[in-house]
Order: sequence, then structure tokens, then C-alpha cells
Amino acid sequence: MEKTAKEKKLSKKAVLGAYIRWLFLNQSNYSYERYMGTGFLHAMNPVVKELYKDDEEGRKEVMKRHSGFFNCEPCLASPIVGLTVAMEEQKASGEALDEDAITSIKTGLMGPASGIGDTLIQGVIVPLLLALCIDFSADGNIAGPILYCLVITGIILVISYFGFMMGYKKGSDALMDMLESGVINKVISGAGIMGCVVLGALVAKYVGLSCKIGIPYGEEVFSIQTQLFDVLLPKMLPLALTMGVMKLLDKGKKPMYIMLVMVIAGTVLGLLGII
Amino acid sequence: MSIVQAILIALVYYLGRSPFLAGPVGYYTIYRPVIGGWVVGIILGDPLTGMAVGATINLMYIGFISAGGALPGDMCLAGILGTALAVSGGITTEAALALAVPIGLIGTIIWQGKMTVNSLFAHVADKAAEKGDPGTVWIGDVLLPQIFLFLLTAVPCFLAAYFGSQAVEGIIAVLGGKILSVLTSIGSMMPALGIALNLKAIYKGDAKIFFFVGFLLLVYFELSMIAIGLIGLVMAVIYMQIISRQKEEE
Repeated sequence: MEKTAKEKKLSKKAVLGAYIRWLFLNQSNYSYERYMGTGFLHAMNPVVKELYKDDEEGRKEVMKRHSGFFNCEPCLASPIVGLTVAMEEQKASGEALDEDAITSIKTGLMGPASGIGDTLIQGVIVPLLLALCIDFSADGNIAGPILYCLVITGIILVISYFGFMMGYKKGSDALMDMLESGVINKVISGAGIMGCVVLGALVAKYVGLSCKIGIPYGEEVFSIQTQLFDVLLPKMLPLALTMGVMKLLDKGKKPMYIMLVMVIAGTVLGLLGII
Repeated sequence: MSIVQAILIALVYYLGRSPFLAGPVGYYTIYRPVIGGWVVGIILGDPLTGMAVGATINLMYIGFISAGGALPGDMCLAGILGTALAVSGGITTEAALALAVPIGLIGTIIWQGKMTVNSLFAHVADKAAEKGDPGTVWIGDVLLPQIFLFLLTAVPCFLAAYFGSQAVEGIIAVLGGKILSVLTSIGSMMPALGIALNLKAIYKGDAKIFFFVGFLLLVYFELSMIAIGLIGLVMAVIYMQIISRQKEEE
């Protein structure tokens, strides 16, 4: 390709600066209008400064391009930011990359990256680690919060840093291949199985619901909880409650509504002495 | 609770909502009730109780996924303020959980207020972009929204922690046993919601049956959570091996 301007290469400091700004500030001005848009603009600062040092029009153009709407799971968005930095670098070097291409690649990757990030990080990794942390912490073991903080911090920094550098160095095709490859799906479905096992155990250990009704017969009292439910399957009421809540969620009921139902039911049944 | 303690607790809440703990790092640590509760416990001189209360409150929020910026409740406020009131008011962890529910709902207002007003600051950053001046982007992205967030989070949290802790002690004394036991039963039901929300994301297809495996392992063998987690990991690997072998044969 013929180059109209001399090739521009960003310094390591500028690339790292963009990463750090993204990591810290992506949600600093999280808003209904732009979501992470302002954070994205801020992350591009060191790039803009270096590529268009003496070119005010160039700076205006890039900054306007990146002040629009952006929303994504922050860790998995990191590769997109890295890729955008690389595209701006190519454009400043005179490669034929039009403005729309940069914007459409950037916004096109938002959806798939969010889907994976929300499922993998918020749906599987964090709850799994939290479940272990909660279990340690509820028993008063200080290793719970300390280990959790160390492990989750490590995971976030590794995913976001290496993701960013991969986006910057390998480009959009490599990124798309990674997002669509079977490896991530394998990890998600494997971790999903592990997550299901742990959640099942959490139900048995931490959801509490028991029947306090006792039926007197002769001298004795027949306790529905200890002499019926606990014999059939201990913790069957918490299991039924959880499955019931899941059914309501599947039907599209809002968590807020379910919360309210539980508060009302708990109050009425509690005052009546049933639970 | 002393004024200094209430101020520190308010600062922890602001910090949990701010970007200063490396963005997502803060969101996945101090923003979670188990960690926030632990820190509040340290401030109040009882880290073990704080940790245990925070852990119980966190169960309700274990599966809360913020997709598209919508949060069904502010777990950070629920964890920090719920723990603060429980530790200083001396109530059970389950009753604290019932208390944390309305606190989390009120916190949603703070979230929406922030999301709405921040749109104004985006236009301040736009001005910098129009002038081609990267040097002033931070005014719209950090300075203004963070001052606003500080006022929106730390101030009400301080007031609620300081005056709320005195009120809780009084209210609990007046209400007596029956109400407390109702609060406790509501609180112990709440984790079902958090777990069900998380299940919604992963309780799919072949994975479904493994949920019952975990349930039974705890009910009948009373294994520790880490043991059950490791067994879950092994079962996941075995399942993946069988699946990939079947695909090869096809």
C-alpha cells in the first residue's frame, strides 16, 4: 500500500497509558446517554496526544469519533480498546481506513464481547469464587475474603491486560476468531456445570425455610418438618422455593416483584406460625 | 458507632462505587457485600461478625448480573449499610439480610440518579473533543462525575450509618421477639432469589442435573463447599471428555 504520510508508531508508554485509563475510568462517567462513551474518549487521550501532536484538526476528528455511545463488559471490552488504538495508529500512518470502518468495527464487537464477558465473568467466575468466599467467611475464616480478592484481582488484570495487547497487536480478525472459537464456549459450558454443582450445594446450605406446624395426636406432637420432610429429603423446602423462584423468573417476573412476594409471604406465614 | 467510624463507612461506600480501585477490580471486590461487610467489620472493630453478615447478605446478590447497566438493587449499599447496622445494633445475620433488602432497593435510586446526571458531564467532555483538547477530558470524565458521586453516595451513607445505628437498636428493643423472628424467616428465604438469578444464566441443558448433584452432596454428605467445588470441577472435565469423544465417533 502506498503511504501518504510517514509511518507513525505509538510509544509503549502511550499504549500502556490507554490501557490503564480504560481499566480505571471506563465507568467513571457511566451515563444513560453514552454509557462508557466518555470513558472510551478518555482512554484514547495518550493516543491522540502522540499521533496528532501538532495537528489540531486531526485531534478534533479522533476525539469526536470516540466520544459517542459505548457499552460493554469492561474486561472483555479491553481487546476492543486495544484494537481501536491499533486502528487509529494505522490511520494516522496514512493507511486507507475510513472513519466509518473504525466506528463500525468498534461497535460491532461490543455485542459479542459483552455476551461472553457477562456470561463468563459475572455469570460463572465471580459467583463460583464468591460461593467459596461466602462459605469461608460465614464460618469466620479470614482466608475467605483475602483469597477471593487476590484471585479475582489477578483474573481481571490478566484478562484485561492480555486482551488489550492482543487486540492491539493481532487485529480485528484474530479477535473475531477468538470470540467465536469453540474454546471459550467449552470453558463456559464446563464452568457452567461446576457452577450448577456449587449452586445446588449453596441452596442446601444457605436457603432456610422450614415448617413449624405440629399436629398433636394423643400425648405426642407430629412435627411435619422433622418427622415428614426431613425423612423424605432434608432441605426439600429450600429446594422447592429456589425452583419456584426460578420458574417465576423464567415467566419474566422481575426480581423486585419476587422480593416483594417473599417479604409478604414471609410476614404472613411467619405471623401465623407456619414457618 | 462514633462519627469517625460512620465517616469511614461512608468513604468505603464511595470507594466501592468509584473507579479508583482499578474499575472492575473494585466492582468485583469491595462492591460485593461479603468484602464490603468485612471492611465495615474491621472499621467497627468486629471483622468476624462483619464478614459473616456480609457473606449472608451477599448470598442474595450472588447471581446479580448487570447487563446493559441495569442493576436490580444496590448490593454495595446493602452490604455496607446492612452490615454496619447489624454489627452496631447486635441483630442476627438473617434479620440483617431482611434489613438489607429495602436498603438495596433505596440504593437503586442513587444508581439511577448517577446514570441520569452523568449524561450532562458527557457534554462537558464533548466540548474538549470539539476543541481537540485531550487535556481537559478529565474534567467531564472524572472531576465532575466523581464530585457528584461523592455527594450522592457518601453523604446519605454517613447519615444512615450514624443515625440509623442508634435507631435500629431502639426499634429492635421495641419490636421484640416475634417481629425479629419474622425478619429472620424472610431473611433466610432471600438467598433463594440470588441463587435462582444465577441459575438462570447457567441452569441449561445437560448442566441441569448437576445442580441436584451438588444439592445431594451437601444434604447427605455435608461436604465443605471447596470439596463440592472440586468434585464439580472433576465432573465437568469428565463430561467434556465424554462429549468430545462422542463427537469424534460421529
